[in-house]
Amino acid sequence: MTIKKTMLGTLGLLALTASPVLAEGTINVLTWEGYADPSFISKFEETSGCQVNATYVGSNDDFAPKLMAGGGVYDLITPSIDTTKLMIDLDFVEPLDTAKIEGWNDIYPKFLALDGIQKDGEYYGMPYSWGAIAFMYRDDAFDTPPTSIADLWREDLKGKISLWDDKSAIYVAARKNGDMNIYSLSDEQIAAAQKTLVEQKPLIRKYWATAGELVDLYKAGEVVISNTWAGYQSSLLADEGVKVTEFIPKEGAEGWLDSWMVVKGTPNKECAYKFLNMQLSELGQCGVANVNGYSAANASAAKSCMTPEQFAALHQDDPAYLDSLLIWTPLGDRFEAYTNAWNAVKAQ
Amino acid sequence: MSFLRRNLPGMLVMGIPLMWIALFMLLPYGIIVTYSFWLKKYPTFIPAFQFGNYITIFTDPQYVRVFLRTLKISVLVSAASFLLAYPFAYYLVFRCRSAALRTWLYMAVIAPLWVSYLLRAYIWKTILGTEGVLNSFLMSLGIINEPSSLFLYNQFAMVVTLTYIFIPFMVMPIYTALEKIPTNLTEASADLGMGPWRSFWTVTLPLSLPGVAAGFTLTFCLSFGDFIAPFLVGGPDGNLIANVIATQFGAALNWPLGSALAIVMLVVVLTIVSLSDRMERKGMTGGV
Repeated sequence: MTIKKTMLGTLGLLALTASPVLAEGTINVLTWEGYADPSFISKFEETSGCQVNATYVGSNDDFAPKLMAGGGVYDLITPSIDTTKLMIDLDFVEPLDTAKIEGWNDIYPKFLALDGIQKDGEYYGMPYSWGAIAFMYRDDAFDTPPTSIADLWREDLKGKISLWDDKSAIYVAARKNGDMNIYSLSDEQIAAAQKTLVEQKPLIRKYWATAGELVDLYKAGEVVISNTWAGYQSSLLADEGVKVTEFIPKEGAEGWLDSWMVVKGTPNKECAYKFLNMQLSELGQCGVANVNGYSAANASAAKSCMTPEQFAALHQDDPAYLDSLLIWTPLGDRFEAYTNAWNAVKAQ
Repeated sequence: MSFLRRNLPGMLVMGIPLMWIALFMLLPYGIIVTYSFWLKKYPTFIPAFQFGNYITIFTDPQYVRVFLRTLKISVLVSAASFLLAYPFAYYLVFRCRSAALRTWLYMAVIAPLWVSYLLRAYIWKTILGTEGVLNSFLMSLGIINEPSSLFLYNQFAMVVTLTYIFIPFMVMPIYTALEKIPTNLTEASADLGMGPWRSFWTVTLPLSLPGVAAGFTLTFCLSFGDFIAPFLVGGPDGNLIANVIATQFGAALNWPLGSALAIVMLVVVLTIVSLSDRMERKGMTGGV
């Protein structure tokens, strides 16, 4: 299913024909699977009188092309923190009236301080959920648990390694090379990361593109170690009875944050703000935590709706964990250098 | 008035398809050509007239490498399809005595076309995988002791999958070409003392070449533009040109470079088509 969705995402024509209909009191959200899950959206629809139409993206790269293909379709989007700035610079989103969002001040200050969601003193994104790009291994394949990124370069694991097909591969390789400034790499550092990835290539079974694909790769016994969206694929695999363990390597892990953004000129502002309020409340915050296994951006809402175990498991009470993550940062005009290097690795 | 009334049906019959072609083929090509001269500039790209994108394609080794790889895969797929399709079509036309069996076998080749492309490509994953059907089969026969990972996520898997998916486009034109060859020609050849192999080489095969050329063209062009097989069964070295184009329009947000790549690809495909067209015509006039 996930693969099929990615295909649809890539085919612009199909995307157009699949565009949801515009109707009064209906908001169209372009988001990740789980972020508009019926388990909590149905309740919102009943109490607010607003209908929610969700279209799903397979990657952060889907937002810009979809909004460029034609405006006026989507009201709300949820790009990650490396893509939010692009949305602002492309003039696709409008500033938020934070006074109209209850619980705004309960959002982790670290998130509100991020550059990617603001411009000229105004907020354009409402932090919603976050997590780490952790690493993951199959329990039965390791006697001693892996602890380092270098384990993804081990000769004895040849043909059993997978890596996310994303520019973040450059971040991983740079850390392996000892370059910790992963969001401001020089051309030489990027070239070195590219070289490191080319060396790894013969060991790679497959670069994974979607969450479902990675789950399939583990399930079919094709790979034993990879990076992952912490909390998500591992719980899907647990449901399938495949025992995997997530770990943060000693070289550190990237962190991501997804924010809700209001598309410029939406005619459904009232419903949009009702929706934002719901997503930041206990209903939305625990909704996404329960469906996707992601951590919540509103600490106080999380505290009141999560069990103490879940609160701890999602690192909600652990500021040191959050601080240890290298939160994705917009690359601006360096973006091309990163994607170009990653494409060159794949072309090799 | 009467002129209009008299010609209206004709204008509609010709006009609508022409409008369709103009609107949905020529106009988009024009847009792509225009974009290919534009310039990438954060956050997106700006109108310009420069050849930078084309220069990049021919100077940056990554694009040349992917083009050559795509070429290699497409040639392998066409060759494999030909080797499988020709004997099959030959059997159907000349050896299969039962008309019912012939229809059934022909349908068996065509029928997969009615099943979703995605599904057919996906099935090969379950066949070729490490814990897949092929591995279990080979292990049960004792040919291998432990599952092999050699079948999936590499170029071999892509060639197998694409050959399976596109082989009907090789069978159909060859079948049609062979069917058109009058049987009395081979009989005459036999009367003149030719053995069956000589007859085949000097009469049947040359006469069926237009069909072979058509089949090669179809399978080659379809494989050349494929981007789902690399995604599903290809490995880390499986990126084809269509995947690179998709990346430029998506992740890299570099529509100008993506457009330039698409134009280069179009030129390659059109060259192949016109070459094969010439071959077919030569086959037609030089033959019967």
